[in-house]
Amino acid sequence: MIRNYFKIAFRNLWRHRSFAMLNIGGLAIGMTAGFLIFLYVSFELEYDDFHTKGNRIYRVITDVKTPTETMTVSNTSWAFAPHLEREFPEIESAVRINYLSMLVQHGEKKYNEDQSFAADSAFFKIFDFKLLKGNKNTCLQAPFSLVLSETAAQKYFGDQDPMGKTLKILEEGYPVRITGIMEDIPENSHIKGNMVLSMTTFTQSIDKDDDPDNEWGNFVPSAYVLLRKGTIASALEKKFSGFIDKKVGQSLSIDQMSYSLFLEPLDKIHLWSDRGSNDKGNINNIYVFSVIAVFILLIACINFVNLTTARSVERAREVGIRKVIGAKRSQLVMQFVGESLIISILAFFITLVSTRLSLPYFNQLAGKNMDTHFTFSVSHIFTLLCVALFIGILSGIYPAFILSAYRASRVLKGKFSGSSRGILLRKGLVISQFVIAIGLIIGTIVVHHQMHFMQSRDIGFNKNQVLVMNTGVNHAQKAFKQNLESIPGIASVSLTSAFPGWSNNIAYSQIENNNGDFQKANIGIYFVDFKFIRQFELKIIAGRPFSEKFATDTTQAIILNEKAVKSLGYNKPENVIGKRFEQWGREGEVIGVIKDFNFTSLQNEISPLSLRIEPSRTNFMAALINSEDIPATIKKIEDKWDVFLPQKPFTYFFLDEYFDRQYRSEIRFGRLFLSFSILAIFISCLGLLGLVSYSTLQRKREIGIRKVVGASVTGIVNLLSLQFVKLVAIAFLIASPLIGLVMHYWLNNFAYRISMEWWVFAAGGIIALFIALVTVSFQAVKAAMANPVKSLKTE
Amino acid sequence: MLLQLNNIFKWVNNGGNTTFLLKDINLTVEEGEFISIMGPSGSGKTTLLNVIGMLDGFNEGEYHFLEKSVHQLREKHRSALYKEYIGFVFQAYHLIDELTVYENIETPLLYKKFKTAERKALVADMLDRFHIVGKKDLFPEQLSGGQQQLVGIARALVSRPKLILADEPTGNLNSRQGEEIMDLFKKLNEEGVTVIQVTHSEKNAAYGSRVIELLDGRNVTP
Repeated sequence: MIRNYFKIAFRNLWRHRSFAMLNIGGLAIGMTAGFLIFLYVSFELEYDDFHTKGNRIYRVITDVKTPTETMTVSNTSWAFAPHLEREFPEIESAVRINYLSMLVQHGEKKYNEDQSFAADSAFFKIFDFKLLKGNKNTCLQAPFSLVLSETAAQKYFGDQDPMGKTLKILEEGYPVRITGIMEDIPENSHIKGNMVLSMTTFTQSIDKDDDPDNEWGNFVPSAYVLLRKGTIASALEKKFSGFIDKKVGQSLSIDQMSYSLFLEPLDKIHLWSDRGSNDKGNINNIYVFSVIAVFILLIACINFVNLTTARSVERAREVGIRKVIGAKRSQLVMQFVGESLIISILAFFITLVSTRLSLPYFNQLAGKNMDTHFTFSVSHIFTLLCVALFIGILSGIYPAFILSAYRASRVLKGKFSGSSRGILLRKGLVISQFVIAIGLIIGTIVVHHQMHFMQSRDIGFNKNQVLVMNTGVNHAQKAFKQNLESIPGIASVSLTSAFPGWSNNIAYSQIENNNGDFQKANIGIYFVDFKFIRQFELKIIAGRPFSEKFATDTTQAIILNEKAVKSLGYNKPENVIGKRFEQWGREGEVIGVIKDFNFTSLQNEISPLSLRIEPSRTNFMAALINSEDIPATIKKIEDKWDVFLPQKPFTYFFLDEYFDRQYRSEIRFGRLFLSFSILAIFISCLGLLGLVSYSTLQRKREIGIRKVVGASVTGIVNLLSLQFVKLVAIAFLIASPLIGLVMHYWLNNFAYRISMEWWVFAAGGIIALFIALVTVSFQAVKAAMANPVKSLKTE
Repeated sequence: MLLQLNNIFKWVNNGGNTTFLLKDINLTVEEGEFISIMGPSGSGKTTLLNVIGMLDGFNEGEYHFLEKSVHQLREKHRSALYKEYIGFVFQAYHLIDELTVYENIETPLLYKKFKTAERKALVADMLDRFHIVGKKDLFPEQLSGGQQQLVGIARALVSRPKLILADEPTGNLNSRQGEEIMDLFKKLNEEGVTVIQVTHSEKNAAYGSRVIELLDGRNVTP
């Protein structure tokens, strides 16, 4: 029996090849998209899940409160981790991680290693980063110990064994000993890096005089603690305020500040944390994509059901015959479900192939690096197969019941036409497909509109044609700068400690407020030079910019942004001029106010900012290029670099690109959204195409009669198209408010956002309508052009 | 006695009007009979055949088939009954296009859950008997009308029914093919199979042992 079903199914597919291709192809495309999204989602959800002690590892995060604001940071000050470990028996061990961008040299090889960090010796005991060589207990104990990843080891030492060998690090060229080799850190780890330097390198040697282990106010390293078994994190968290009081309570109360410490579970860091890097995942995006995946699968299933039930007229006769020669209804249901299972299993295999082929593109699109090993793991393939079988049964069962219910005596008499219930259902399904498609189109437009808005908005400073280099603060810097200024293609060169898009320092400051008191606040700080304000085209709205004419400007002057002035309680920016300030060991007067500019992503509100002249901290050099020939100018800069800074590799970037990198995850989100919308629309159109061809086939006789009695071709095309226009219109009415709500919610993520205007919705509807009409009209025109005599004769 | 119809009525309601399809039909069929049902278009021939074949129900009356009261049977038992004892032959052959000749004949056996070996033997028998062994791997569209009808009859006969119901079996065939098919029915009847056919043609009716004439749903046999 089963064999007979298979035979029939395969012959049926073969006989109706184009139909089968629509059906299998649509399903396979939908399943591929769904599978890729599923992989993406599980990749994100499985972040940091490879640490065997993971459920006991927590990141220590801090809220720093001042009278005016609360800063929520993902890191701690240097003293927290070692003191927490000593103070609380619940904490088995603690580790600090400090990300570095350090110069590394080995013989002739010289690289700037962005992907490196310093860590305390417990690092390899707490985390399960596998050491291939070296002792996990001791490899990070001694100062100037370095653990390399396999990739880094290969890069510097090739096939030689690096253990015990030395590399030179930092500009000073300290020799470090290789004490371990670790496996490359997995892609799905939020801690990333190619080399791990022992923290003692700084605490016991380089920065020994600053006594970092007792430094409470400088928030730099990330800290992680491993709790003892059975410890309840929330209970431990409650004890932290007492700990802070005991350690630094006094000095904090003088400064009117307070620290609150929290424990963030390791597995929540990547997706749920509200603090940390730009590369962080976002649980909302995960939800959005999961929903999109389900929608795309749904569209594919709907196609399947639609196409199958649309064909029911053709299959009715077969059902009748089978019933007459003895088939039970259950046997027929089995047969039809079996057929749809075969289709879904074929689609499953095609999905495997197409996933393999599209994986590199998808990785690029999503900014992930999922390898085939991860992609085609047994559990993933098993999940896909289950989904395929589920879809097969789900999509097969309805048509199966419809088809098997036909009365043999009726269908064999030829008195059969599609039931009105079936037609209504198909219409409903087409409408729901288009609700999804229109929703995705409108969503795509909104996302891209917002992206465009963010990238083209007046952000209050010039970011074009600015080349930024990290020269470091050194003697050569000044000479290099002067030499650059003499290059014809360079308009201006400025030194600064930060630039928009680069995370600036936050300084504890006291400034005289409207009431004449010294108001304490943590505000952002840019250390700049005299040219900075002009070169970046910042606007002075009160007072004056820094000027070399005033000798005191280098030590006793500060410029604030509007936001800072407002937080001090001044109504007019003029009123703050001449007020006193104290900040990081300097004191003096406010000399000017600049108009607010977006120095962070537009997702965030502009926060208070201060500018000061401080040549000893300006490690970045920004060159404004006014030449047409940018590559030639860069070449000239490189030549000078090699003369003045030969110890460092020449690296640079353009400010606009760097600034826009803040939107990387949003841009990616937008691109993924666009791709999946196109897919969803494409699959919907496949279904529509199939549906239209069947419905015109069924109306062939009607069309013939209409033509004979004098209908024009356009009249018939309109007749056939109009029904689908109606469906799209209904779908539009349902989709608009829904997607409007969703996008409103999404836009709320941005401090600076577009307002959704009516044309966005109109455009979405019109695009969907247009695509639907194009799809429909091919068939409609073909049917309308056909010779009526032919279609009437065959009836 | 094979079957007996007592006072069978069948009607449809069409917007307030009641149209009778069958009116007070009484009929007794003995095993081994060859009956032809005749009458003009719309006189209810096919309806009567469908009622006898249990493909259609009726509104009033009694139907006994092999001592069982069909009108009191539930759908499940009724279909079990006709599957067991009745074979159908259609004017339009109604073969399954996707199956070969062999597979078409085999299908009823599959639904009756015959074992593979048995199926092979029975189908081979049929192919032999109708001299279509050479065509067993062809699809219906590759056959002439007469050949298709042969396959249709082979399929109806393969599960050894007591009764063959044929609805204008020669209606789509030319006269030579038609004669062959009628000869075949005659031969089957002589072997003991009861045959009831619907036909327009006096010539075909002459093959039978008895003629029933219908007019407007009534039995008007003289």
